[in-house]
Amino acid sequence: MTANKTITVSHEFSEGIVNTVREPLVVLDQDLRVVFASRSFYEVFRVNPGETVGQLIYDLGNKQWDIPRLRELLETILPQKATFDDYEVVHDFATIGKRTMLLNARRIPSPPEKAKVILLAIEDITKRKRRDDSNYTLAAIVNTSVDGIIGKNLQGYVVSWNNAAESIYGYTEEEMLGKNITLLAPPGYEEEIHSQLNRLQQGGLINNHETKRVRKDGVIIDISLTLSPIRDQSDALCGVSAIMHDITAQKKARQRLVISEYSDSIINTVREPLIVLDQDLRVVTVSRSFYDVFKVKPEETVGKLIYDLGNNQWDIPKLRELLETILPQKATFDNYEVEHNFATIGRRIMLLNARQIERGMGKERIILLAIEDITERKEIETGLEKTRKELEVIKKSADEASEFAESVINTVREPLISLDQDLRVVTVSRSFYEFFKVKPEETVGQLIYDLGNKQWDIPKLRELLETILPQKATFDNYEVEHDFSTIGRRIMLLNARQIQRKLGKERIILLAIEDITERRKVENGLEKAHGELNELATELKRTARVKSEFLANMSHELRTPLNSINGFSEVLFDETFGPLNEKQKKYVNNVLTSGKHLLLLINQILDMAKLEAGKMKLGLSTVPMKSLLHELSLLVADMVSKKDLHMVLEIADDLPDVEADELKVKEIIYNLLSNAVKFTPGGGTIGMRAKKSETGIEVEVWDTGVGIAPENREKIFEGFFRVDTPYSRVTEGTGLGLPLSRNLVELHGGKLSVESEGLDKGASVRFTLPAIAWKTV
Amino acid sequence: MKKKALVVDDNENNLLLEKDLLEVAGFEVFTAKDCRSGIAMARKEKPDIIVMDMRLPDMRGSEAAAILRRDLETSDIPIVFVTASVLAEGREEIGAVPNSGFIGKPINTRTFAKEIGQFIGQGLPKANAKTRTG
Repeated sequence: MTANKTITVSHEFSEGIVNTVREPLVVLDQDLRVVFASRSFYEVFRVNPGETVGQLIYDLGNKQWDIPRLRELLETILPQKATFDDYEVVHDFATIGKRTMLLNARRIPSPPEKAKVILLAIEDITKRKRRDDSNYTLAAIVNTSVDGIIGKNLQGYVVSWNNAAESIYGYTEEEMLGKNITLLAPPGYEEEIHSQLNRLQQGGLINNHETKRVRKDGVIIDISLTLSPIRDQSDALCGVSAIMHDITAQKKARQRLVISEYSDSIINTVREPLIVLDQDLRVVTVSRSFYDVFKVKPEETVGKLIYDLGNNQWDIPKLRELLETILPQKATFDNYEVEHNFATIGRRIMLLNARQIERGMGKERIILLAIEDITERKEIETGLEKTRKELEVIKKSADEASEFAESVINTVREPLISLDQDLRVVTVSRSFYEFFKVKPEETVGQLIYDLGNKQWDIPKLRELLETILPQKATFDNYEVEHDFSTIGRRIMLLNARQIQRKLGKERIILLAIEDITERRKVENGLEKAHGELNELATELKRTARVKSEFLANMSHELRTPLNSINGFSEVLFDETFGPLNEKQKKYVNNVLTSGKHLLLLINQILDMAKLEAGKMKLGLSTVPMKSLLHELSLLVADMVSKKDLHMVLEIADDLPDVEADELKVKEIIYNLLSNAVKFTPGGGTIGMRAKKSETGIEVEVWDTGVGIAPENREKIFEGFFRVDTPYSRVTEGTGLGLPLSRNLVELHGGKLSVESEGLDKGASVRFTLPAIAWKTV
Repeated sequence: MKKKALVVDDNENNLLLEKDLLEVAGFEVFTAKDCRSGIAMARKEKPDIIVMDMRLPDMRGSEAAAILRRDLETSDIPIVFVTASVLAEGREEIGAVPNSGFIGKPINTRTFAKEIGQFIGQGLPKANAKTRTG
């Protein structure tokens, strides 16, 4: 058959069908030019055949068919999909106004005349949309379906048989015309055909029904069948149009596709490079990761011999061994280790896992090869063994250290917080939670400034963390005063350490927070107290000075009149300017005695005051004690004899001299002797013993006098104390002699003590003096 | 020829007592109640000895002594301070004055004139001048 004749035949065939249907129908060639159009097309779109056939479809009726959606269907969708149904196009046609059309298109992939033909059925559903006349429209559309098209009457006898049907079933039109369609039914399918015809006679439809039919050569094939009723001009049912195509290959392919899609998605999902080879070891599929790892491109991979991939870099003896020797014997091989120096990626150690699959993907056998790059793992494994023991030791000590650190953190009283390099909280001590009244869940992981409602957003803290710490790893006693919403105004001392972690570039900041609010208060109080104390000390010094000045003044002021009293009394008593009578002389003597007593009193009070103020100074010299004691005994001898007392002296021959203030020593002994005389009634005995001691000398002045009651033993040192006895009234004294003597002894570094067995049992005063007085000033 | 003594004291009773005691002992006694008149009297009479209180109304005895010492006519006259003060401060003041001595108040009337006489023309050691009644 010539091409021309084929086209003619095709035209005639098409025309027959096309003209029987009422729906507009257009047949286009591969250039989208109209081959012919149905009568109804001319009627509906009001165009003439002369201006239609041979025209580009878009140019029809003054280019009113140049519809973008139509272009899309014809130029984009159809080349990919042979069939496209119910493509809805709304368009305002120049001739007929706005219409809604449903386009059903079929590209006939391999029509008998080998010319690519597109059948375009145009259903004007504008009306239908209004009237819902769906049944009427649907039947017409189904009529246009091509592939195999068989026309039959309502009893199933074939009235038309196209070339497509012939190629599907192997029967020619001549063979089939007038034959019943049940001829095509494989055993058991006759009933199906009858019921289909019955359904159609009742106005039913059968769409894309997949079923089986038998070819002329007896082979049973899968077909997709669409049956539609055919109506005559009066709309009466007059036959059935059957449109079908052989889906045997498609079905197999679809099965394969499903498997292939499934495995492809697996292949592309796994991390490991995967490669699928056919029985000739050519690449069928490769996973994305394969391209990534081995740096090859899809176009230089698929279809190539595996050994040739990437400049023959896959031509590895061990791979050849695996694929050519091992795999044919064993369908499965795991963990086949291959070391190879790749041109693109260097020396690698790979673990190959291979599966040989018989009759996969339409090939006799395929090989699935999973490639795992274990170079790094191997390196790590090698290093691992070596370092594991070290690590164990380190880990142990690290654990201990970590445990220790944590326990330190939780043990210390001060709130402690550790931050990472982003200033987020890593760890916090218990005391931190307690002190700042925050909860763990709102603390860890937070930015320090955000803690507790951003109450930590303190400018000085920012300065410390962001400016100071990056320059100095350590910062101590950074004082921050802040008004916290939870705990009020606080003064804190921050101690920060920045710890650089040895591994990695992390750094950790350890922040110890000491609340010194209370301490600061105490310090301020102390400072104040200190100031007050200083003032007090100054005041005391001033007071002491005033007291000294007062004493000096008093001394002067009291002695000046006494100078006159005693002086003139003495002059009178001495009768310097003429004799006195006996009474005058006695009275002047009384004045003189009282004056001298007053003077003694003044002197002793001054001495006591000086001692108490620490102002008494010793003028040291070598004091010849033996002669001094004898001299003093002579001084009181007069008083002793006047009171008819007996005096006993026991002064050791080896009594040493001492370094002391001679005047003071005289005063001490004179005081003690005069006391003994005063407090011993007539006829009694007084005595003085003196001997060398370990450190110097020891002197005792004793008497058989009134003694001291035990309860008064300490009172006698208080000053102005006079033992209250009937006898005391007649004794003269200041009451200062004993305390003054004791102070003077102590000033020399000695000790003075008084012993008495009680009232009227006498008393004994004992004192020591060191060889050299040490309390010199 | 009688020895001349100048007594300077603002207390009239003491002035009288000391004058009496010195006159009884044979001194020709001049008196003054303050430093100014005392210094004037010393320049006028050029006494053999000056007996002076430490506390005087117009200036301290030590200050008057310093003035007398700067004047060639009075610089060699021995000065005996008679003072009731017991403070060390006073002693230092006296120690700073050349050819001077010290007798504490109240004075011993039986030895006073004799003690004064010892200072004349001798520059006696101060230790000997110290007296203390009591």
